Order: sequence, then C-alpha cells, then structure tokens
Amino acid sequence: MNIYSPATVSRMRNIAALLAFLFALGLPVSVSAQQKVSRHFPAGKNVRLELKNISGTITVETWAREEIKITASMEAPTARFNPRQTDAGLVIDVVSDNRGRNDVGDVNFKVQVPARSSVDLETRRGQITVSNIQGDLVRAHVSTEGTIELSGINAARVFASNTIGDIYFDGEFASGGTYEFKSGQGTITLRLPANCGFRLVAMAPAKKISMGQFWHNGMKLLGDGRKITGDVGDGRASVTVTNYQGNINFLRR
Amino acid sequence: MNCEQYQDLLSDFIDGSLTPSDHETVEAHLGVCGVCAEARSDLNSIVSFCREHRGEYEAVPNEGALWLRISNIIESQSGVSSPAVVPAEAGWWFRLMNRHWQLSFPQLASGVAAIVLVVSLLAVIGARRFSGSGVQSSGLSLASTGSSVQDRYRQRQQVIAYWNDRVELNKARWNPQMRETFDRNMSVIDAAVNDSLSQLTQNPHDEISEEILNGALNDKIQLLQEFSQL
Repeated sequence: MNIYSPATVSRMRNIAALLAFLFALGLPVSVSAQQKVSRHFPAGKNVRLELKNISGTITVETWAREEIKITASMEAPTARFNPRQTDAGLVIDVVSDNRGRNDVGDVNFKVQVPARSSVDLETRRGQITVSNIQGDLVRAHVSTEGTIELSGINAARVFASNTIGDIYFDGEFASGGTYEFKSGQGTITLRLPANCGFRLVAMAPAKKISMGQFWHNGMKLLGDGRKITGDVGDGRASVTVTNYQGNINFLRR
Repeated sequence: MNCEQYQDLLSDFIDGSLTPSDHETVEAHLGVCGVCAEARSDLNSIVSFCREHRGEYEAVPNEGALWLRISNIIESQSGVSSPAVVPAEAGWWFRLMNRHWQLSFPQLASGVAAIVLVVSLLAVIGARRFSGSGVQSSGLSLASTGSSVQDRYRQRQQVIAYWNDRVELNKARWNPQMRETFDRNMSVIDAAVNDSLSQLTQNPHDEISEEILNGALNDKIQLLQEFSQL
C-alpha cells in the first residue's frame, strides 16, 4: 500500500532529480578546485632543496636537466606556496607561508632535481618518496604518519624518521657517512649491497631485529635482543636504527 | 642649631679650627647646656690623653706576645668566675651552656667544615629517602630508578608541559583530521615512554630502557614543537 499521496511522490521525484543534477554539477567543481602550480628554478653549483610541508605527499625524482621543477597540487585554493631561492638553496616553507590558516588542506609536491642535489624534506603528515639522489644529504622527516621510501640513494648523510608508517631504504652507505632511521610504529627495512661496511647500533624494544645475511658472531646482542651493535664489513659508515614498536629488517641486495 | 649639631662641632671646637663667630656661638651654648658641656669634657679628655701618649702606640712590639697577654687576661678572668657560677650538681646542659668556648682559627675552620659535611650527608640521605617515594607520571612510577633519570624525566616533563600548552592554544584551529592524527601519533610515543618507564621500574639499571625513554621524550618534545607552529 502506498502511504504517500501522488503529489508528494511527484515532489520527492523532483527533489531527487534536482539533487542528482546538483551532484553531477558539483563533482567536476570539486575536481577543478585542485589547483596545480609548476615553477622552474635554475640549479646552482650546489643544489639544495629544503621543503617543509604541512600535509600531503612529497615526491622527489632526479632528471638530467640543470634545473629544479616544483609541481604543487593544492587541495585548497587558499593555500599559499612561495618558493624562495637563497644562497643556501631553494626553500619552500608551506608551514610559514600558511601560518594561522586552518583551511590549507593537502599540498602534494612533485619535485625534479639534478642527481647531485641535497634534499631536506619535512611534512607533518603524508608520504615522502625520494629516488636516485646522489648528493650530500637526504633528510626525510614525517612528524606523524606517512611512509618514507628512499631508493637508489647514494648520499653521505641520510636521516629518515616518522612516528607511524614504514621506512624503506635502498641504497649505498658511503665510507664515513652517517645514516639514521627512526620510527615509532612501522617496519624499517634497509636493503643494502653485500659489500657495504658500517658500524651498527640498532634498537627495537619489541625485540624484532632481523640482520639477515649481515649477521655474524662478532655482533653484540644486548638487552635480550632489544639492541644489536657491531661492525659489518669495514665499519666505516655509522648507522643508527631505532624502532619503538615495530621491526627492523636488513636485506642483502 | 640643636644639641646634635653643636656636638658635631665639638671636635673642631677643641682643635680651635672653628671660625671666631662659630666658636663664640658654641661656647655660649656650652655655658647653658649641661649635656653638651659633658660631651665636650669627655671628648676633651680623650683628645688630651691621645696628645699626651702620642707615639707610644704606633707600633705593636710583638703581636704574638700581645695576643698571648690578652688571652691570658681573658683566661684568668674566666677561670675565676667559672667555679663560682656553675654549681657542682649542675646538669650537662647547664654546664654546656655556661662553658666559655675559646677556639683558634684552625679549630673554628675544622668545626665549620664538620658542620658542612654533616649537613651535606643529611641532605643526601633525605633526598634518597624522598626519591624512594617515586615520581608518579603516566600512571607509572620511577620508584627505584636512579636520581639522574628522575631529574632528567622531571626536566623533560616540564618542557613537555610548556609545549603542550602552546599546542593546546592552536589545536582548536586545526581541522579534525589533523587533530586525530596528532592524538593518534602522540599516543604511540606515550606508549614508548610508558613501556620504557615500566621496564625501568622492574630494572632500574636497564640502560636500553633509559635510552629509549630519553629518545621517546625527545621525540615527544619535537612533535609538540612542530605542531605548535601550525
């Protein structure tokens, strides 16, 4: 039995049609609200990029051109993004540029730089991906949650840290270099060549440290397996890995 | 002028260095004021004595001998009075309180050093007893951990409280997603802090837990600092 009168049913149909029409109109509007901005900067002798984001992904790739290209996709049209080229390098500070704003939303960066660049990347939330950097420094810091993927890295100093999320490093350890990886909750995986040499301090209170083929009897297992110290190969690079609640895995390439 | 002002001029009056008019004024006042006249008389006698014995006291012939003489005089006077003042049946407290103490500088210095040492020992013992009661935080106690760990933990907690206040001021401005993310991640770090505190409660000398605790507290401070900028 129909409980609505024909007039009511007709009115409901009209409202449904209007809502469908508005929805169909609104969808492309929300897509077009994503603002995409690209900027090019000349690469100096020593290329250094410093990028501080609030929320969103950061992807850094290398290319053969002598310039830096920044592409930012901004979720909110009100978000500010003012790159500054200084003597120290290219600086993008979304945090300072949007201080006091609550409507910034995600800003997703794609950055292309020469391979010899140093990159110092930071975001409060979001994934960081860096590939094929051969410069002095690679720093990737996610204050809260977001995975960090560093692949094809050959830098003298590498620092990667987050609170929630995996950290993956695939690269070389330079002799005399410093490498630090730290996560609160997530898996840290280091994929290294068989001939690499480093002095290791690895700490995981959850006792989940897997040295794989890098393990040897000269290594010290401390605190019921919560900490491992020892040299691998010539031990000339300094490697510190800390994971409060997750695993630490070493893989041989 | 009042008497005080007249008495200020007495020294110059006796020396004869006042102007004639001032000299006359002071002299007239001394003629009618007994108090000032008496003060003039006292001062006059002192000045006269000094003038008469000028040169006799310029150099002390032997300081050691002089001090010995003074010491002997004091000793002889105290020796005479003591037996008369303290009765034979007096208690130890009465004797102690009525005893004349005479200490040389090395004895006095040794006494002060001993007092400082005793006070320091008492302070250390007191601090250890106090620390035995434990610092309560995050639902856990640092009851038996070393005092240095506790001190560092307290210092860190103060810093955390400061930055936490800063964050709370800004938190209302963040979008709900960011607030949830912050709280979720803070709980991960808090779990690391609590785990290491728990380990330290069981084993106060666990260096790994101490290391983890320090690292987690530093991470917490860093997270708060970073979010206080938003």
